[in-house]
Amino acid sequence: MTEPVIRVTHLSKRFAGAGDTVTVLSELSFSLPDGGSLALTGRSGSGKSTLLNLLCGLETPDQGEVQAFGETFPAAGGRSPKAASERWARLRRRDIGVVFQDANLMPALSLGDNVRFRARLAGQTQASSAHWLAQLGIGELADRYPDQVSGGQRQRAALAMVFAMKPGLILADEPTGSLDHHTADAVADSLFSLQQSTGCGLILATHDPALAARCQYRLDLGHDQPVLTASSAAPSPS
Amino acid sequence: MTLFVALFSHYRRHPLQLLALALMIVLATTLWTGVSNLTERARASLAQSERAVAGQQQLVRVDGQAVSVRDFAVLRRQGLCVMPWLEVRRPAPAGRVIGVDPFAGGCFGDQVPGQAGGDALIGEPFLDIGDAAALVDQDNPGTLSLLVPVTVLPAELPPGYELKDFSLGPATGELGESFLLNLDALGVLVLLITALLVRSVYQMGRVQRRESFALLARFGVPPGRVQRLLLMEMVVLAALCVLPGIWLGRWLAAVLGGGFGQALEGLFDTPLYAVEGGGFALPAVVMVTMVLVACFTDQRLWAKLPGVSAAGPSLWLAMLFLGVVMVGVTPGLTWLFTGIALVFVAVGVLTPRLLSASAQWWSDRAGGLVLWQRRELAVLFRRLALPVVALQFAVAMVLAVQALVTTFEDTFEAWLAQRLEAEFYVEVPDAARAADGVRYLASRTELGDWHLVQRGTARLSAAAGSGAPVEVDLFAIAPIGPLVTGWTLQTSVADAWSKLAAGEGVMVNEQLARREGLKPGDSLGLTVGGQAREFAILGVYADYGRPAGEILAAGQRLPQAFRPQFESLSMNPGDVTMTEIEQGLTEVWNAGKLTVRDNRSIQALASGVFDQTFLLTRAITVLTLVLAGTSLLMMGWVFFSSRAWYYRLLSV
Repeated sequence: MTEPVIRVTHLSKRFAGAGDTVTVLSELSFSLPDGGSLALTGRSGSGKSTLLNLLCGLETPDQGEVQAFGETFPAAGGRSPKAASERWARLRRRDIGVVFQDANLMPALSLGDNVRFRARLAGQTQASSAHWLAQLGIGELADRYPDQVSGGQRQRAALAMVFAMKPGLILADEPTGSLDHHTADAVADSLFSLQQSTGCGLILATHDPALAARCQYRLDLGHDQPVLTASSAAPSPS
Repeated sequence: MTLFVALFSHYRRHPLQLLALALMIVLATTLWTGVSNLTERARASLAQSERAVAGQQQLVRVDGQAVSVRDFAVLRRQGLCVMPWLEVRRPAPAGRVIGVDPFAGGCFGDQVPGQAGGDALIGEPFLDIGDAAALVDQDNPGTLSLLVPVTVLPAELPPGYELKDFSLGPATGELGESFLLNLDALGVLVLLITALLVRSVYQMGRVQRRESFALLARFGVPPGRVQRLLLMEMVVLAALCVLPGIWLGRWLAAVLGGGFGQALEGLFDTPLYAVEGGGFALPAVVMVTMVLVACFTDQRLWAKLPGVSAAGPSLWLAMLFLGVVMVGVTPGLTWLFTGIALVFVAVGVLTPRLLSASAQWWSDRAGGLVLWQRRELAVLFRRLALPVVALQFAVAMVLAVQALVTTFEDTFEAWLAQRLEAEFYVEVPDAARAADGVRYLASRTELGDWHLVQRGTARLSAAAGSGAPVEVDLFAIAPIGPLVTGWTLQTSVADAWSKLAAGEGVMVNEQLARREGLKPGDSLGLTVGGQAREFAILGVYADYGRPAGEILAAGQRLPQAFRPQFESLSMNPGDVTMTEIEQGLTEVWNAGKLTVRDNRSIQALASGVFDQTFLLTRAITVLTLVLAGTSLLMMGWVFFSSRAWYYRLLSV
């Protein structure tokens, strides 16, 4: 069994609503082995995006803990939250690549500069933006700005950025959600192909069953008691 | 591609925004440096002159004549410690300079004039007396004084000389200081308004960069690091823009200096000495600080201050009340300005809140799009508190400056009308007898009104208060006629002008009356031409702010020993041409070319100079108002820019 890149134990998250509290995630536990891929599915509001935010430290759980890259991050109210926040920031900078549905690129930088900038933040000073943009099929767009290319091209550039930083884990929130079917397939192909070739872990939130099926594991947050299930080609989940 | 470069790339895509920001900083620096440089120079000049003459005394001739180089030589030969002090009045902006002979000051020991406060007689406004003498000509008149150590007693003086306190100009009271305080207030206002403008432009950029900041947080860049880099970005930009701004500001001050100097000297008799304006360091530090405070102060910080949010409107109402009370009861100008500032800030904060609450209340009575529109208005009003404060300050300043200039203008016009009542005046040549000219004019019956003016000095022998003798200007006029009886009298005895003509007393100017507590009917002890006499005060005439003490007397009633320093004949030619009169006086006095001045031309010229003096003051205030309005518009723009997505949504 490969060492998990991320482990979640009894994770709960609540949000204060209008006069009451909404529990989005309750007592969730799972782990993902290094290099594995996991699809988070479920209806809108089931907590997919919230879970992704918890897995990269953009939000703090109310209960439970997250272990990522060998470090443990306790729930809110734990000791030294500032130190925890700084450790999460370091992980996001160097080890965890995050891709959202949109707004993944610095608007004032060209696509090439975006890739170079993200790689440099991760400490990959030798990374070639041309190489990664070419890998995603948009090598000729390196000098264009985000508002000068299509949505699909922007998502490919966002993936190029993430792969250029050589992360241990990629978190993707509906990475193809705003794209047409044809472009979504192309972007997904690029994502899985590069994920397998680089050997990094991948957790993606999606509504698309076909996309979810390409992952080794699946966690349906629509159930009251979500359980990690394996796709046919996947090793047994923990 | 470093983080700093990535952040600064925003301006690569929005160069006009960077240009606007840079221009705002340059403009702010130029205006503030210009105004503060002028004020600083004037203050330094005043302080310089006060320090230079602090506690000094001078030797003057008993006969009232000005001292000369010959007097200096005579006194030195007699072994008296005397130091020459030659003041050369150069037209502004060059300013006055003082010629000194440091070697002659050797006998002063540690009491050398000009060294009080640790300053040596080096650098402007002090020059070697030889260099200063070379500057003296018709355009740059010079006045020689002879200073003696304070240890010299009257008994040690040779005959024909006496001791007198040395001062460079009459006390101006609060007049000059209030003028400078007005400029200070203008400087603060310029700083406030331009700070808001810089903030508006910067905030607009911040709104556009919000997406990048959020992305950087996702990328794991700590917000503190982003904030530090943004700070560094602004420090670099401010440092680059502040330097040309300061240079332009000093240039503006130099351009304005001429009119400013004339205003100070003409209105307040305050000499503007040639002193260095401030350096680059202070404006640079002030402006960089202003830019950083304007760009990075979080408005929410104010609300987080202990007590502020809890106090709510009551805090601002209390501030308004305090301001109103201060304006009503304060005796000093500084507190008055502070009180007005409190009122403006409180009203500025309360007005948008009041408007916002009204819009909110109004929206509760509407539905649909109208409800949304009124709620939006309520939010907009709350956001506009700062620009509204700035606009209030600007409007108040424009009104104040306009009132100030108009008052000055009226005063100046009235003063000119008083002193230049006659159409022409003719100087009596040095070698001529004024009485011959008077006889000639009296023989020309077809001539209009005329009189002889003899200007000299007299001494109040028993000045009220200090008991020290006070030197005043003495204007002896004969005959007392319509050219002078039209002067405005503030208080007087009955038939004051007739009694003056009859030699039953004298008149005093307003400043002297105020300083010495004089009023009509009082008896005034005057030493004129070495003779002490008592005169009744017949009236107090308006002097339109001229601070020097003046006495107006009928010429024929003064002691024979009175030696005027300057004599002239003022006249309206009537049915005679001025050429004919000039010819007649030339023959009577057996003189060459006479100095004849056309008072109407002088009046027109003086009014022109005055207009020019305040043209830029008016321009700066109007510009400030425009800037305040612009900042209001820009804050509105920032508001609408930040909500553009919302409006697009409504459109969809």
